[in-house]
Amino acid sequence: MKRLLAITLGILTAIGGFVDIGDLVANSETGARFGMSLAWVVVVGVIGICVYAEMSGRIGAVSHRAVFDLVRERLGPRVGLANLVGSYLVTLLTLSAEIGGVALALELASSVNYLLWVPVAAFAIWAALWRIKFETLERVFGLLGLCLVIFIIALVQLGPDWGDLGRQAASFQPTEGENWATYGFFGVSLFAAAMTPYEVFFFSSGAVEEGWTRKDLITERLNVFVGFPLGGILSLAVMGCAAVTFLPVGASVSDLGQTALPVPVALGRLGLVIVILGFFAATFGAALETGLSAGYTVAQYFGWQWGKMVPPRRAARFHTVVLVSVLLGLILLLTTIDPVQLTEYSLVFSAVVLPLTYLPILIVANDRDYLGDQVNGPFANILGVSYLIIIVVAAIAAIPLMIITGVGA
Amino acid sequence: MNQPEPVLLDFSLLDRQIVDSQGLMVGNVDDLELAVTDQGRLQVTALLSGQQVLGDRLGGRLGRWMSAVARRLSPTPDPQPLRIPYDLVDTVGSEITLTVAKDLLAEPPLEAWLRKYLIDRIPGGRDASQ
Repeated sequence: MKRLLAITLGILTAIGGFVDIGDLVANSETGARFGMSLAWVVVVGVIGICVYAEMSGRIGAVSHRAVFDLVRERLGPRVGLANLVGSYLVTLLTLSAEIGGVALALELASSVNYLLWVPVAAFAIWAALWRIKFETLERVFGLLGLCLVIFIIALVQLGPDWGDLGRQAASFQPTEGENWATYGFFGVSLFAAAMTPYEVFFFSSGAVEEGWTRKDLITERLNVFVGFPLGGILSLAVMGCAAVTFLPVGASVSDLGQTALPVPVALGRLGLVIVILGFFAATFGAALETGLSAGYTVAQYFGWQWGKMVPPRRAARFHTVVLVSVLLGLILLLTTIDPVQLTEYSLVFSAVVLPLTYLPILIVANDRDYLGDQVNGPFANILGVSYLIIIVVAAIAAIPLMIITGVGA
Repeated sequence: MNQPEPVLLDFSLLDRQIVDSQGLMVGNVDDLELAVTDQGRLQVTALLSGQQVLGDRLGGRLGRWMSAVARRLSPTPDPQPLRIPYDLVDTVGSEITLTVAKDLLAEPPLEAWLRKYLIDRIPGGRDASQ
């Protein structure tokens, strides 16, 4: 149990990247339309986020510098500001979507329209960010999020033809009735979700919040190499359940209720209860991750005191940014915009943000002034550079694909 | 005695985080104050921190806009940047550590204003999270 509690930061960070509200529905939709033929993108994404989260966590533990500090130090205030604007918008759109996600999970549980739950969810999220200790938040929502493991159990219980799923996964091409453009768009979306920048903002800032030092590097790596692959497996299980349930009958998935459906089909009422609890924990956890990240990026760019390690009155500007961000997210939702679609639009901003976030991490991970003997080895650098190239290609491809396919329609 | 290591100002000082003797964050190095010594050499006399100096350093429309926002958000009409004499610098590494506690330095007006009119009015703002 102690081991498990030590890696909740990694689990919570990964939940925000792989199984937050946008991804839950997107993974299910991908499974329903493409079977497992895009599963390889999740694997590529897991390796990529592991490489960069490990670097950012190591920098956080050894030098106590979180990612947005590095962005400004290494790219200068001007390019740093461009990144800040993009990152903040990605994070804010996602935060708004997650508030909606919490409300949607509550709608599934209560049959009360989600819009009525939205203000309640926003207040609860803000109150948790204001009052509750970082470590408690991370443990409660990291562990509760593990309810989503029910998707793995459901997949096994559904008794799929594993050979068929394997053949889909190895086909690397769109299923019948789909074209390469939509295949590419869903691929880029899955990759961008896996590498979404607030994961490294949150993970590295969390490393500083938890007071990690050089001694905690083993814990840091355990968080990365257990947390993110677990997130990836959960996302594949959601995709697999949809591939088994919806693909053969040609049904499409567009909301959270449909995403959940394979679980009660396989496991009955108890399964439904657990999956709703999992949705609630994952979206609430992702809301905490993005809400804090919104504050972290702005405060770190300007050098303001940030973090939950000091009382709010000692970090007034940071807590104001968090409060304003939650309010903006709430207002956006009250326009009755679809929370699930919100995260798809954040892809546009990711295109700018991803390279400008990961490049400074790679540079500083090789800087002995920061890391001493803990600089990158050749293996981390080869992977780091390869992924930077993939990120740039994905970033360039994202917007044209989005326009050609009409956001994957 | 050896010559001191040359310091690349824009690389080692500018844009770095300044922390106080307790490890609390003070601000970023947004600009530097330089003076010419008797021997005709340049010397860093102070670190400057604050959004209006950052705006001035950025220049252009964006910089003017940032300075203007900083002035607008400041409760005093002509906000001065936080000026930290270089004598107070303890070490320069991945962060710049001062020899003094933050409370002895002037507090950024925006922080003070937000604390007074927003954060302290919300219940629980004074407590460390337990």
